[in-house]
Amino acid sequence: MIPPRSAGSARVVAGSGATVARVYQALLTRRYLTSKIMPLLAAVAVMLCTGMVIVVWSVMGGFLNHLVNSGRVLIGDVVIEWPNAGFPYYGDLVKRLEAHPMIEAAAPAIVTYSLIVLPDNRKEMVLIRGIEGESFARVTGYESSLWWRPIDEPLRKDAKREDPRLDAGIKGILTEVLENGRSLTVPGPVGGERLPAVVPGIEVSGFAARRSEGFFEPRPRLVQRGSSGGEEVLSIFLPRQGTVTLNLVPVDSQGRILDIASVTLRVANEFHTGLYEMDKKTALVELGELQRRLKMDRATRIVPPERPGGVVERPDGTESFSEGFEGIGVEPARVTTVYVRGRGEANAEAVASAVGEVYREFAAAHRGEVPPPGTIDIRTWRDQNRTMIAAVEKETGLVLILFSFISVTAVFLVLAIFWSMVAEKTKDIGVLRALGASRTGVAWVWVRYGLVIGVIGGLAGGAMSYAIVTNINDIHEWLGEAFGLYIWDPRIYYFSEIPARFKWLDASVVAASGVVSSAVGALVPAVRASRMDPVRALRFE
Amino acid sequence: MSTHPSTISMPAGGVEASGGGGAIIRAESLHKTYRLGRVDVPVLRGVSVGVARGEFVAILGASGSGKSTLLHLLGALDRPDRRSGSSIVFDGRELVGASAGVLDRYRRFDVGFVFQFYHLLPELSVVENVLLGAMVAYGRLGYASRRRALDERAKELLARVGLGHRLRHRPAELSGGERQRVAIARALINGPRLLLADEPTGNLDRATGRTILDLFSELHAGGQTMVVVTHDEATAERAAGAGRVLRLTDGRMEPAPGGSG
Ligand SMILES: Nc1ncnc2c1ncn2[C@@H]1O[C@H](COP(=O)(O)OP(=O)(O)OP(=O)(O)O)[C@@H](O)[C@H]1O
Ligand SMILES: [Mg+2]
Repeated sequence: MIPPRSAGSARVVAGSGATVARVYQALLTRRYLTSKIMPLLAAVAVMLCTGMVIVVWSVMGGFLNHLVNSGRVLIGDVVIEWPNAGFPYYGDLVKRLEAHPMIEAAAPAIVTYSLIVLPDNRKEMVLIRGIEGESFARVTGYESSLWWRPIDEPLRKDAKREDPRLDAGIKGILTEVLENGRSLTVPGPVGGERLPAVVPGIEVSGFAARRSEGFFEPRPRLVQRGSSGGEEVLSIFLPRQGTVTLNLVPVDSQGRILDIASVTLRVANEFHTGLYEMDKKTALVELGELQRRLKMDRATRIVPPERPGGVVERPDGTESFSEGFEGIGVEPARVTTVYVRGRGEANAEAVASAVGEVYREFAAAHRGEVPPPGTIDIRTWRDQNRTMIAAVEKETGLVLILFSFISVTAVFLVLAIFWSMVAEKTKDIGVLRALGASRTGVAWVWVRYGLVIGVIGGLAGGAMSYAIVTNINDIHEWLGEAFGLYIWDPRIYYFSEIPARFKWLDASVVAASGVVSSAVGALVPAVRASRMDPVRALRFE
Repeated sequence: MSTHPSTISMPAGGVEASGGGGAIIRAESLHKTYRLGRVDVPVLRGVSVGVARGEFVAILGASGSGKSTLLHLLGALDRPDRRSGSSIVFDGRELVGASAGVLDRYRRFDVGFVFQFYHLLPELSVVENVLLGAMVAYGRLGYASRRRALDERAKELLARVGLGHRLRHRPAELSGGERQRVAIARALINGPRLLLADEPTGNLDRATGRTILDLFSELHAGGQTMVVVTHDEATAERAAGAGRVLRLTDGRMEPAPGGSG
């Protein structure tokens, strides 16, 4: 006698005596799964839907996250700002800030505008930020934003190793250039002396061209001289030969505009944040130099001629009668801005309120000499980048809406597939009901079936998306090589790599929704079919 | 052909079951009306029928006379009209208006149904189709504990209908007559007290149909109570050889004039 074939279907699970669970359900689920192409299609549909949603989510999430965080790069968490005239005693403020347990570091800076003159005689209006390399690096990602540095590994797309930073021949000078960038100085003509320098954003000068492989290389520019139209090709490597002339508008401590000051500085290095607006419109200058040029350095305090004839005390201790503008003491150095970085993963709003607290104490200690707490600007990096973040948030919203459309489409797809599968099997439901299967019992066959398909599809989709997301740059590159298809051209997006992040939690949520959708997709038609009288199900065509 | 002793003695031609055994099922004034759009199509208008234990009843009627409808009502696959005074009593219990659980249990254990179009599940093998009724009837543990006995019984039933050698075949690999025999084995797996067969030979050629009817006669001889529906006089004649023939006309039941007992 042939051994019973159905032996496998009756595996006893100890204690599983649920009223609904019957042997026929497991058997039918298995047979339906293996004997038809439809469940395979359904599983593939679930896989593609969940996989697609996870990939889109990972890429968009990584992209937006990257974009938002790049707005934070040269700002830190919180910015204290009193524009134009600036405020004194910032050294004390920095000290007080750094003593606060929530605050990691603080860095003074001056933010102003300048019309700069580039080596090819072009003029550009840029935001000038005067910083101390060391303190600024502790607050922001300044050091890692310095572009010119020796590197050992080529960028991912740079298969031909054309990035000039890889060139062993110039590595020596790149090491020095990186050092120059850190301190915002360059070696002077006389031994040991260091001169203040400027670090413009990599897009400012136009002397560095971005390649689709993701790196910049020095680019010659055509220079027009004068109105006669004389032309000359200028090919320079900015951190070696470049100079930039800054035209600055000093403002005194009373807020009065003084004569325009011009200063020509050498380029120490260039920075790259990945944020075009910043890379194109910002130049960093050594803080001390900027203070001197803007007359914000420590100086003699003068009074306007409203008190002619008054006795004036000079910093050197001598006294005299005032004649017009008179020095009446020491005017301490000023900055317009202090950048603050919170400790660890501290939330920017919390850091901002800590900063406000510290500032109140600081203002109390220097009453009358620094802006009162109510008037000074204390903003988080989010506030500072509000336009950009608002745009990103709109984009996120849009993505979420598109996303829900995709998800709804996916759910309907699964529902449609299950509807047709159940419709095809309505006669079986009639037979089962005629044999005495309960409504919930037959409905459970389908829910179970849907669950199994959902789990298979969801797991496969998760695995597929994991493979895609973790290899997205290779895949993208392969697409580019094989079909010339660069969806993510770094010349447009300014990221050398697609910043996709596979987040297990998000992926699990999506895969679980895939499973639930499948179960619901199966449940709806199954309940409908199981509610029919057996005869109607049997007659169903 | 052997006949069951208890039915031999029964007078044929009566609408009501008779004899000392008493009715195992008794339907009283069954009404069934289909609604087609706005039109009511009455199909059964007060059918009464009783079947005694061990009896073999053949119901004859023209196509469209409502034979399937009647059988579906007896098998609790469909419900009679509401508030029509219809009643179906099986073994002393009223089925009209009974709960879904009661009807499910009735279909599981008390009644076996053989359809005109077999209705085997194509994904299951022959023996699995036969066992399906038992898989539906018992929970996991109950089924597991009876496995051996049920497997034996399924094989026995298949051997009895002449398909002992086709256990692993799929229904698609069987002829119509073979499929119908599998369906009969399936209907019998839980040892129902009542077997209902709707045109079991309707889709088969005469010779094949005869083997099915022979099978029924054998079952009847073994004490199986059954109701067989047909539109074919000859089939009814053959069935009548073993029991009673009733005729369904105009939605009412009457004894067949030519029926014999
Ligand atoms: N679900 C339904 N909806 C509407 N009318 C129906 C339905 N089921 C059956 N009918 C009608 O009821 C009548 C009886 O149908 P039934 O199937 O019971 O006849 P039958 O005697 O079994 O016929 P056959 O011998 O052809 O099988 C037919 O006229 C049929 O059209
Ligand atoms: Mg019929």
